[in-house]
Amino acid sequence: MAAATSIHPAMRDKPSVLRSIWIGIIWIAVVLGVALLVWVVIQSFRPTAEILDQPFGLPSEFDVSNWVTAWTQGNFAMATWNSVWVTLVSSVLTILVAVPAAYYLGRVETPLTRGITMYFILGLGVPVQVILIPLFVILNELNLIDSLIGLNLVYIAISMPFTVFLLTAFFRTLPIEVEEAAALDGAGSIKTLILIALPLAKGGILTAFILQVIAHWNETLLALTLMQTPTKYTLPVALIEFVSQQIYTGADYGGTFAGISLVVLPMLAIYVWIGGRLSEGLTVGIGK
Amino acid sequence: MPPLRRRRTRSSAPGSVIENQRRKFLVPFVGPAFLFYTLLFVLPAIGAVWVSLHKWAGSGPMEFVGLRNYERVINDSQFQAAFVNTLLLLFVAGTAIFVLAFALTMVLRTMWGRSAVRSIIFFPHLINALVFGVLAGFLFNPTGLVNTALGWFGVDNPPLWLAKENIFPLIMATVIFTTTGYYTTIIMAGVDRIPPYLYEDCALAGATPFQRLWHVVIPLTWDVFGTCAILWTLSSIKIFEIIWVFGGSSGAGIPPVESWTSAVYTYVTAFSGQSTPAFGAATASAVISLLLVSVLVVFLRRVFRREAIEF
Repeated sequence: MAAATSIHPAMRDKPSVLRSIWIGIIWIAVVLGVALLVWVVIQSFRPTAEILDQPFGLPSEFDVSNWVTAWTQGNFAMATWNSVWVTLVSSVLTILVAVPAAYYLGRVETPLTRGITMYFILGLGVPVQVILIPLFVILNELNLIDSLIGLNLVYIAISMPFTVFLLTAFFRTLPIEVEEAAALDGAGSIKTLILIALPLAKGGILTAFILQVIAHWNETLLALTLMQTPTKYTLPVALIEFVSQQIYTGADYGGTFAGISLVVLPMLAIYVWIGGRLSEGLTVGIGK
Repeated sequence: MPPLRRRRTRSSAPGSVIENQRRKFLVPFVGPAFLFYTLLFVLPAIGAVWVSLHKWAGSGPMEFVGLRNYERVINDSQFQAAFVNTLLLLFVAGTAIFVLAFALTMVLRTMWGRSAVRSIIFFPHLINALVFGVLAGFLFNPTGLVNTALGWFGVDNPPLWLAKENIFPLIMATVIFTTTGYYTTIIMAGVDRIPPYLYEDCALAGATPFQRLWHVVIPLTWDVFGTCAILWTLSSIKIFEIIWVFGGSSGAGIPPVESWTSAVYTYVTAFSGQSTPAFGAATASAVISLLLVSVLVVFLRRVFRREAIEF
């Protein structure tokens, strides 16, 4: 990402009215988007009645009662814990399972490995609703419905196509010479992978890991289907429940905003921490 | 034939030493990933075809009915509405996203503050679409932010945003607004690969901005468009969360049928608890989506397949 700090004169566009309008629209949209996020976080510190009365107001005091309610009555505490646990465990295991496979498929080129790589890539095209019902039936047989372990296993499986695809492409970009030298020095395959390839691949693996964290943190349809008791809900499912129960319990805007913040803020933290790498991971290599 | 020749040259290189050594590791290295993927992804996908050929309430006996589930689903007015919505998202929202993303790329390319804007418009991609659905309820409810803001400008009779007939267009608008940034980032990365000297050539040759766009920018980013089109096809067919909660809670616990997509149809038909679960019909509708995706992806690859231009 060569940030164009100075733009080459030949690339500069002539100023035009149309262009200025576009720039105006872009800035308005960007500012509104950011404002909306800030608004949600601020409103989570205001009582519902106040929000309804004055949607644009600021908190009159620093009131954490929404968070307390959401945390205790809204089941968000349990759900946050479940989400953190499932997200971390399934993402770590996804990487542990996918890295050796991708390394092998990226380094050994035979008709068989090409076939296996294609087999993994085909999974990218299968929408999740296709496997939803059979998965429900299979997990039901295994007594893994309503089980975080079952959900972990499912998340690992559905992550294989993308992770193997991404990491295989990544390992192919790494220079093979060092590994060859290690092999000539008598290092075995596992030793070469751990001592030579992994340190070189650290960046790519971290990107793949973070992408899995984001995907698993936000996954909704499978969790909604497979988790059935409130103590097993992940955050998105808890948020859906919290919102849909308001028909009976009355609007709880403050609590909803606290729930939304729980879903969004960890992603914001990751993005601030590692954002550049992410958009690169999702965009570089595309179209190659 | 090129792969063969390449391997032959390789066998005399030191690479063959490790390659031979590595081959023994196929099972321990690839095995676990293969097993997870086969058992919990490929098997269910094949199982889906099997289930879709049966009448089944999820428990009890399965009755083989051949293609009758497909017949039932295709003639079901709810499925038709949901499928039309899926197609609207795919093509109408998709076209809007691409036109906007490309226009944004062109403007952002040389705009002041482009890195900041690029970072911000990418972020919605990391947020669960559920959040946008819930927020829409706060923005568009009769006393919500949008109507409050409109009131300042003297609009006293704003439309009923969340009425059944308006809800799907509003969903499309929300999807467009929250997705365009991601595709803009990808297209920008493609446009950034174009070396500046080509722009100089254009300037020297006196090309108009339109000629530059048509003869330089679009041909050199053609493959990126292809990738984006495929990515959008794959992700639009799965749209579920935002619909499920759009506008906040609805009375029935499930969203109004006017806003369904085929993914929502699948879920409701199998798990809503509103009627006897029909696993066969639900799966049949999912398999129809899979067919749609497969046809489109093959078609898109055809359209966008072209020798990559080296530059």
